[in-house]
Amino acid sequence: MATLHLEGLVKRYGQISALNGVDLEVGDGEFFALLGPSAAGKTTTLRAIAGLEKLDAGRIYLDGEDITEVPVRRRNMAMVFQSFALYPHLSTYNNLAYPLREAGLSRREIAKRVQEAAELLRIKHTLKRKPASLSGGEQQRLAIGRAIIRQPRLFLLDEPLTNLDAKLRHAMRAEFKRLHRELGATMIFATPDQLEALSMGQRIAILRDGQIVQTGTADELYLGPCDEFVAQLVGDPPMNLVAGTLRRDARGARLELPFAAIDTAALHNRLESFQPGTEFLLGIRPHDLRLAGDDRRGLMFNAKIRLAEPQGDITILDLEANGAALRLVVAEIEGAKRNPGETIGLAFEPARTRLFMKESGLALG
Amino acid sequence: MSAIATTKPNIIERFFARHRGPLLVSPAILVLVAMNIFPLFWSFGLSFYKYRANRQAEPVFVWFDNYIKILSDPVVWSRFQTTAIFVAVSVLLQLIVGFLLAVLFEKQFPGRRVLLMLVLTPMMLSFVAVGAFFRYYYEPTFGLLSQAIKAITGEPFIVLQSPIGAIGAIIFADVWMWSPFVMLLVLAGLVSVPKHLYEAAEIDRVSWWRRFRTITFPYIRGLLLLAVLFRTIETFKLFDAVFLITEGGPGTSTETIAVYVYRVAFQYFRTSESAALGYILLFVVVVLTNLYLFFVQRRAKET
Repeated sequence: MATLHLEGLVKRYGQISALNGVDLEVGDGEFFALLGPSAAGKTTTLRAIAGLEKLDAGRIYLDGEDITEVPVRRRNMAMVFQSFALYPHLSTYNNLAYPLREAGLSRREIAKRVQEAAELLRIKHTLKRKPASLSGGEQQRLAIGRAIIRQPRLFLLDEPLTNLDAKLRHAMRAEFKRLHRELGATMIFATPDQLEALSMGQRIAILRDGQIVQTGTADELYLGPCDEFVAQLVGDPPMNLVAGTLRRDARGARLELPFAAIDTAALHNRLESFQPGTEFLLGIRPHDLRLAGDDRRGLMFNAKIRLAEPQGDITILDLEANGAALRLVVAEIEGAKRNPGETIGLAFEPARTRLFMKESGLALG
Repeated sequence: MSAIATTKPNIIERFFARHRGPLLVSPAILVLVAMNIFPLFWSFGLSFYKYRANRQAEPVFVWFDNYIKILSDPVVWSRFQTTAIFVAVSVLLQLIVGFLLAVLFEKQFPGRRVLLMLVLTPMMLSFVAVGAFFRYYYEPTFGLLSQAIKAITGEPFIVLQSPIGAIGAIIFADVWMWSPFVMLLVLAGLVSVPKHLYEAAEIDRVSWWRRFRTITFPYIRGLLLLAVLFRTIETFKLFDAVFLITEGGPGTSTETIAVYVYRVAFQYFRTSESAALGYILLFVVVVLTNLYLFFVQRRAKET
């Protein structure tokens, strides 16, 4: 149980800087996600917290105590490596018992704890086997088991699900949430997968080029991405971004899109203070686009279907509306009726869109 | 004429064309047979005869007499004992020194490459050069060792005077020459340990000793075994260093079994006896090799 506070972490490898001033606040007992594309600095951040990386600048505070210079073994953290880092020459039992060996516990106490952990993670049947003979899921749970066997102050999980197949990954997501609930510990995990971050993380920090771009809950990130990068990263399929220009003339102020013009009033006058001619990106979630119905609600326009991607219960339609590329999610039953090349009517609520400056990518409001 | 020859090759040309491969390797095989395989069998046959190379007498077939004579000869057993001391002490020291060197060279430090090259040099020198070098090094009047000690005590130091000193001197030379070999093998093992295992061990807060035993050692165990075998076999045959530094002395205190074989064969001219002793040595080495292969295979099955 611990709170963690990172302040301006900087890490350089020669010319390349992996961390560019990472600030972060993780609450006690929180299940916290670090989301970002590869090489964004997720792993380096975790390794810095664990003490495996020497920082070029910045401080790390655990429960208010500055641990920046504290050696790895005195930080009392547990880490699950992306590669699992299981000890290849030790059995499952000994792998699990490893962190307890120097803790001054009796043989019986160790055996009891190993049994408990093995039971919790359902790897009891593998206790006598070596890691190489374990399945991917078992190896992964063993790696977690080694982390939870002693009560560390902080759990660090580096892409714990990346090396698993899709089906197992789904099961392990639920498993992780259950584990977190049962242990009540502070956990930080890194992942490149937005779905993992949104579904598991109570709060999520988005990393890009060694900096935190935005921190928030899944809802906050999904509904209020602070810039174009976050908008594209969070949500699947990613948010549609349509370039538009602000016009102001006798007909009033409006945002002109390739396929339509939106009255600024419909955008809650978010554009009032800008000069005519300013370019914006209008973000529309694929789920907020819908097939135009008879009710004639929302802003309507026509688009041509380029491609249909059936995904089982839903179908993603790739569309083109006067040069702008869009994606739309429809129910499978709707998607089956449409063919590429067909023109369909679409509608969306301007109020549910998000606006970004085209130049900087930053969100408005 | 030549046109006819190419269109219709004669019998010799056809033979060469058909058996080109075997013909190309045959000179090498002939040399090998003449210089190596034939003497091997010849000496094996010889070991069952009574024969001296410096006498005119016809060889007499005596069955296992030579072997019985050798194995019941206390001198042979005492030479084996001397050899055992050399093998045990020298191999152990080579392992220790080689291992420590490997641990040192696993780390990165300034001048590592140059130092590594220097440390590897002894291994690549010729036996005779090393022998001669140490002979002068131990020389009582102007030898470096004697001079150095004289500078402190005022007395020249004759290390080869006492049996213990002579054994120690030879072992020192052998260890100096062959520790780098052990180091190379161990170093190969050390660098093959995945870095993240050390990081995991750091996070798991285990002691240095446990980390070494459970993580590092399994990666060098096989190579260490290989080093032990190679060095044991080589040291068992130890001849050059002894012959060049002490010639077996003082007395016979440093006379290894290999030196003894040489003496029996070329100084006492008990030719057939030396052949028999040679085969006993070969037998010991074969047993050692198979022992090693047995361990290796058992390990392969485990993993």
